[in-house]
Amino acid sequence: MSAISLENLTKVYATGVTALDRLNLEVGEGEFVVLVGPSGCGKTTALRMVAGLETITSGTVRFGDQVVNGVSPRQRDVAMVFQNYALYPHLTVAENIGFALTNKKVPKEERERRVSEAATALGLSSMLNRKPAQLSGGQRQRVAMGRAIVREPSVFLMDEPLSNLDAKLRVQMRSEILRVHQTIGAATLYVTHDQVEAMTMGDRVAVLHDGVVMQYAAPRELYNRPANLFVAGFIGSPEMNLHEASVSEAELVLGSQRLPLGPAGTVLAPYRGRKVIVGVRPEDLELGRATEKPAGTATLTADVRVVEVLGSESHAFFSIDAPAAGQGVLAAAVGEAEGDLPAASAHNGVARLDPRAGVRSGQRVTFGVDPARLHFFDPDTGGAIR
Amino acid sequence: MSERRRLERLAERDAAIPVELYGLKRGTVSVLTACCVLFAVFTLIPLVWVIINSTKTQANIFESFGFWFASPFEFFHTFANLFRDIDGDGTYSRWFLNTVLYSAVGGGGATVLAALGGYGFARFKFTGSRLFFGTVIAGLLVPITLVAVPLYLVYAKVHLINSIWGMILPSMVSPIGLYLMRTYVQLSIPSELTDAARIDGASEIRIFFKIALPLMVPGLMTVLLLSVVGTWNNYILPLIIFSNNTLYPATVGMGLWSQHATTSGDANLYPLLVLGGLVTIIPMIALFALLQRYWRSGLLLGSVAN
Repeated sequence: MSAISLENLTKVYATGVTALDRLNLEVGEGEFVVLVGPSGCGKTTALRMVAGLETITSGTVRFGDQVVNGVSPRQRDVAMVFQNYALYPHLTVAENIGFALTNKKVPKEERERRVSEAATALGLSSMLNRKPAQLSGGQRQRVAMGRAIVREPSVFLMDEPLSNLDAKLRVQMRSEILRVHQTIGAATLYVTHDQVEAMTMGDRVAVLHDGVVMQYAAPRELYNRPANLFVAGFIGSPEMNLHEASVSEAELVLGSQRLPLGPAGTVLAPYRGRKVIVGVRPEDLELGRATEKPAGTATLTADVRVVEVLGSESHAFFSIDAPAAGQGVLAAAVGEAEGDLPAASAHNGVARLDPRAGVRSGQRVTFGVDPARLHFFDPDTGGAIR
Repeated sequence: MSERRRLERLAERDAAIPVELYGLKRGTVSVLTACCVLFAVFTLIPLVWVIINSTKTQANIFESFGFWFASPFEFFHTFANLFRDIDGDGTYSRWFLNTVLYSAVGGGGATVLAALGGYGFARFKFTGSRLFFGTVIAGLLVPITLVAVPLYLVYAKVHLINSIWGMILPSMVSPIGLYLMRTYVQLSIPSELTDAARIDGASEIRIFFKIALPLMVPGLMTVLLLSVVGTWNNYILPLIIFSNNTLYPATVGMGLWSQHATTSGDANLYPLLVLGGLVTIIPMIALFALLQRYWRSGLLLGSVAN
């Protein structure tokens, strides 16, 4: 039985805007599920509906086998961590953490014991008498976590809890949240727009776009087998290279280049003579393979425009003469996550390379591509061709 | 070297005027400052006059120079008289205590109602909320003089003439207070805070008292100040509804003295009037001084986004 199940959950605002369109989602006992998507995709609305803070237009929210649609937030036994922490500024850390227990009229001794346990677990013991204003961002975040875990809830909700922290602290808190999750074992629904958080934290990840679930799967599955163009473009950084191509016999025609497909081409049989969108992850473009050329490896020649060296890896932005697919659409949708897309006119693809390869801008390189690592999408529906 | 000294002098000059007024030019700032000083002087002149003349005899009030002291120094004598029953009209002390009572209960009540109403309008969506709120705000536009006669007739029907409740009940309604509190709650209490408290299992009543109310205190101080001062200085309403001298607040009571002073010309009422005026405004000055930091932040509400 699922801890949380959402059936055809729909939210239409009074203005007529549909924030969520028939969302179906199951969260298993003790499972950590991430709702990810660009801003405005309806993920926070979904979370607030689970919490009971937002009315449900239609559909059902179940905790276990109990429908909770009409249950007020205070009776739902959920804990929630808010994006801005929502700490009570006039109460001390101890009072903030213990507020829910006071509401439940938990006896003072037990309350103090549980507050101090939660504080110890989060390294807050020495600041129990401080007010939120006297804490750093990371400490406030911990208090917000403490307020949630002290209740030992059956359902744990988190709304972008790390988005107000700096990058370093974010990485640290990521593992801390996972540790807490493993300790208390409550079913968790975690909302973020950051695909790195989604990939690293979720047992399963639901990718949302315009109020619709695009794919709901384990992170590895999302990355390796994206169900559609949106997921392909959204998950992964740098994002997947997507180009328009056409299919002929056993070859893929990509601009002026032809890539032999081998056995990988069988799925494309219905698309012979038609256009498809081909996707390849930046790390699946390999330098040097071209010269060894094991059987079945295709090659792709490209002009490198810009090289960004990140230390452990370098990103070579290149151009080929095939048009990039739906980049405008994707850029608009993914805009927030990948804010600084380099000027699209100069290049239309990127490869993740070993910085020791010494690729320089202006160079013409040949990448080896394993056809089995290519992703194909229907240009009309955007769905993956498998 | 001289260049350096010039820069130092400029820096000194800049430090002397620490307030940068919306990037205005120094000359403009000086003119505006001068205007403010003039206005402050203009406002303070009557107060100075009252202070000086509260020390004089009736004859000296009329004959000596208004802005300087004249012997004999009668302040304490007049002060003692102020709290005696002068001619059977009732006593100043009675009126003063009435004013305190009306202001405390009326102003306090207005603050409580503004807190409840403002929070309600800011946090809950309900049918007709905009209509209700609009109606209350529209009340701001109606001057009391316009409703004086109908108010008297209604009061006569419900037996509120010569009743302290006739004074207190209308003082407890403060449209501007409601407006201020609604804005204050919207701006300074994030809805996540009340959401978080709901999820933490607190009832709406508990959220209001435990979470919202403590955060509303600065706004409430502004409303308290506004409504207490409003009631304290109210003249028209008690004038209409009270015919019994013992119920008068200080404003109306001293109005009565003033009438007697002009008609009878006797009874040495002028020094009492001057000192009575002074004693009446001192609590308000003290209250302002005490609460002015809240008052200032409250007035900025809605005009400045943080």
